[in-house]
Amino acid sequence: MITVAAISLNVAILIAAYGLMDGMMKHLVANVTNLVAGEVQIHAPKYLVDRSMYKTIQDPMEILARLKRRGIEGAARSYGYGLVACGNKSAGALFWGVDPAREKEAFDLADHVASGQYLETAPQKEIVIGRKLARSLHAKVGSEVVIVVQAADGSLGNDLYTVRGILKAAGDQIDRNGAFMHRQDFQELFVSGGRIHEIALNTRGTVPLPALKGIAAAASPHADVKSWRQLMPALSDMVNFFDAGMWLFGMIFFLAAALGVMNTMLMSTFERIREFGILKAIGTSPWRILGDVAAESYLLSLLSTIIGGIIGVGLSLYLRDKGLDTSLFIPKDAAVSVSGIAFDPVWRATISLKTIFSPIIMMWFISVIASLYPAAIAARLEPVKAMTRV
Amino acid sequence: MTIRLAWRSLWRNKRRTVITVCSIAFGLTFAIFFIALADGAYEQMIEQMVRIQSGHVTLEHVDYREAPSVDLSITIPRQLRSEVERWPAVEETKLVVLGQGIVKSGAGNMAAALMGVEPSSEQATSPVARNLIKGNYLEPADGPQVMVGSEMAERLNLGVGKKLVIASNDVNGTLVEELCRVKGIFRTGSEEMDAYVVQMPISFARRLFRLPRGGATQMGVILRDPGSQKRIIQRIRGLLHDRSISVLRWQEVMPDVATYIKMDKGSNLIFQGILIFLILFTIFNTLSMSVLERQREFAMLMAVGTTPGRLRLQVLVETIFLGLIGCFFGLLLGGITVLYGHLYGINLSGIMGESVNISGFALSSRMYTKVSLDIFLGSTITVFAATLLLGLVPVRRATRISIVDTLR
Amino acid sequence: MNNLSGMKRSSLFLLLFSFLAPLFCAHAAESLNAKKILDKVDDLFRGNSSKGVMTMKIVTVHWTRTLKVEWWSEGKDKSLMRILSPKKEKGTATLRVGNDIWNYLPKVNRIIKLPSSMMSASWMGSHFTNDDLVKESRMADDYTFELTSEGAGKNPKVLEVTCYPKPDAAVVWGKILVVVRAVDYLPVKILYYDEDRKLVRIMHFSHIGPLGNRVLPKVMRIVPEDKPNEMTEITYEAMTFDLPLPARTFSLRSLRQ
Repeated sequence: MITVAAISLNVAILIAAYGLMDGMMKHLVANVTNLVAGEVQIHAPKYLVDRSMYKTIQDPMEILARLKRRGIEGAARSYGYGLVACGNKSAGALFWGVDPAREKEAFDLADHVASGQYLETAPQKEIVIGRKLARSLHAKVGSEVVIVVQAADGSLGNDLYTVRGILKAAGDQIDRNGAFMHRQDFQELFVSGGRIHEIALNTRGTVPLPALKGIAAAASPHADVKSWRQLMPALSDMVNFFDAGMWLFGMIFFLAAALGVMNTMLMSTFERIREFGILKAIGTSPWRILGDVAAESYLLSLLSTIIGGIIGVGLSLYLRDKGLDTSLFIPKDAAVSVSGIAFDPVWRATISLKTIFSPIIMMWFISVIASLYPAAIAARLEPVKAMTRV
Repeated sequence: MTIRLAWRSLWRNKRRTVITVCSIAFGLTFAIFFIALADGAYEQMIEQMVRIQSGHVTLEHVDYREAPSVDLSITIPRQLRSEVERWPAVEETKLVVLGQGIVKSGAGNMAAALMGVEPSSEQATSPVARNLIKGNYLEPADGPQVMVGSEMAERLNLGVGKKLVIASNDVNGTLVEELCRVKGIFRTGSEEMDAYVVQMPISFARRLFRLPRGGATQMGVILRDPGSQKRIIQRIRGLLHDRSISVLRWQEVMPDVATYIKMDKGSNLIFQGILIFLILFTIFNTLSMSVLERQREFAMLMAVGTTPGRLRLQVLVETIFLGLIGCFFGLLLGGITVLYGHLYGINLSGIMGESVNISGFALSSRMYTKVSLDIFLGSTITVFAATLLLGLVPVRRATRISIVDTLR
Repeated sequence: MNNLSGMKRSSLFLLLFSFLAPLFCAHAAESLNAKKILDKVDDLFRGNSSKGVMTMKIVTVHWTRTLKVEWWSEGKDKSLMRILSPKKEKGTATLRVGNDIWNYLPKVNRIIKLPSSMMSASWMGSHFTNDDLVKESRMADDYTFELTSEGAGKNPKVLEVTCYPKPDAAVVWGKILVVVRAVDYLPVKILYYDEDRKLVRIMHFSHIGPLGNRVLPKVMRIVPEDKPNEMTEITYEAMTFDLPLPARTFSLRSLRQ
């Protein structure tokens, strides 16, 4: 019946629309957190104020083990400041000592290389640098660079490295002074004795943020645990802003869908006024009519919204897996970035209880209400009038 | 005659007409409001960014984009600037000097991005001015006074009135050092800005970098009507005789933002598409159902001799009426809500918190809708045309019934 | 500049108003002395050219190191420093010509050019900055000064000059206190205060003896006030002043040796 089809379609579209909206928000955040920052970071207290080489995390191995027992893999990193020189150009840099295998697994930076490649699993005295740093050094993939640092024991650490890769836009800090190297190379250069300054956690959205923070705090009682919202307040604010915008859009969609559903139910129920008139004429009580209509529409709506729900989920699944490629709207080789980070233009829907059940329940509710109004009218009408309605 | 029949038949069944008109009207309202809101949000974002950065149109040295450096400066003749400011399309112009240096205090030193600005222009828009936590913002008459961020102030132990030394390379590459004092401290919440940006009056910046009088890194032109961008660029190019200055659109100066908006608009278009589909589907549905409802009526009419052609015409005219009335109310309601949204904005502080800080841009938590004839007319015409087209289908079906079967 | 004309004026007074002479004489002589003191301290290790060997001991909260360095310098803007020990850094050299600084790193056998922002960075992790070691400025130019006796007590053996920065001088200090020996104006210590008149660091001078053709304090020690267990101490082993230095001394090629 048209009614069922109409209601189902409205519900399905609403579900898909909400899925897309939700997906957009998560995409925005994931774009930043999946890159290299992660969802939660652990540091020694006050480490981020000056990134002192000596403010290291206590018992990092213990912490990693505890996290692993809860099913979470952390990426351990060491940092140190120093100088990179290429030819007769030089610039200050923040060096990241990382474990390439772990970074590839938990983060996307390894795929974020504009030219060259990310680090190898074995230490080879290679670095991967930010694009603006590469530009100031006039460095290319394969360029030889000299790295000079103040080692942890006060001596002058220096060595020759090769540029293995240059990154795409990855946020202003990394662009300007980020240089990534293998953890063992870092240790040798900085004589750092295995110091770890940061443990970054990224579950790619599978663990909700408050829970993740709790697990991290439990695993590292003497350390400072921060979520991306505290580490990047600007991003957090932007997300809130867009969230609000989405809410407004969601409202509008809801109203449009509700309108559709209501219309359908109104019309189809009014259609049957003759029927009601006859029933009344043969003596059915108004309440009975109302009751019948209510029950019928209850079932009808349920059926329609469930069908709509199924279609909607199907649509959302497709949109989640295939996604919509919004890069069709932008020129071919333009680089899009959000918060300074190169953005993946494929837009996917997310499926969650929120995006599926709330549309179903709300539309069901509306369609039931919408059918009661005409039924009430019919119930009150005189049978003759009802029967002769055209 | 058909017209009168059509009109009367509409009003014979009031609630059916009302329902149909409502679906058209509300549908149109939603469409208008949605588009106005989305476009309004972009405009808001662009307008804010453009004022904070370097205007809708930027004048800078030809080579600056490739390799930003303080020695690639431009000198704008005074007459040119005042001429441009007199154009009605131009709201104001502003000059900035941008450079890098080291800030030193008794407690240490830090690298800094140095910004020489015109305090009168920046007062209202710069995130530095709007996020002051101590002291005061720069004034046009100020000498060597600077604004520093809270992070820098903390690390260098600086307070209002304290002195610091700025070391940098001037346009000739010579090392220069100048003494200055902190006039105010700001906190934008963005660690970037709060630890790195130092703002100073443009006169002091010129002195520091040994720029000539009237020299600057960029001149930004802020327009009253963003649509006049191309035209203004042409005019400015016509006035400029200096080959070393290029006149750019903001999209070239902030390409990341431009591309992001394009992509976001793309996704917006998809949303709009879904919404319009939903609306049109509803309208189609309503029209179809009403035709189905009236099968007996049509059967009777044809039984008493109305030709199918006549009938179709009547239904068509009805549809036209419905469309006109619906679109009229839709436009009215849509217009009112958009106007309200434009003048007062929509207060989202319940969801977003009082105001939102996006990398130092304090966006208010009100979203404003864009009032534009394009949006109004475009949506209305689309919906009206669609109504007619969609209405044709049920019209055809109306006459394809078997009189006998229906009247049984 | 002010002091020069002051000198002229006071000479005039001396001539014409000899009965007022004692008063003026004393004051003028004092400011002359103060300037002399500051100039002497500024020029302590300066000459048209110089070369020498020093030992630098750096003590920080995290490590302690001792370096042996030989250096050459000419005028205000040319200097070359080479590390002699420890072995790990032997041969590392820094060349400064004007605003450009180059480093030679023997381990990788490369020369790199440092960005000029490095001028404010600490030299080799010590408490001296590159700036400190190649200082061009003169205290007498950037500060107003007067002979005072605060802090040194009634010790007749020392003189004190208190310096306040001139309003436009590009210096970070709020006050500098220069304490010298009364007999030969050789510095005993210099105290550096920030704008809030809080002591930030003290430079101690000791072990006065012959260096080259001068008599100088052989040991200079910087102690930061907020980290009293840290310090950097320079001991001059040998020094020669105003010797002729071949032009190629300050070239990239000599960096590599």
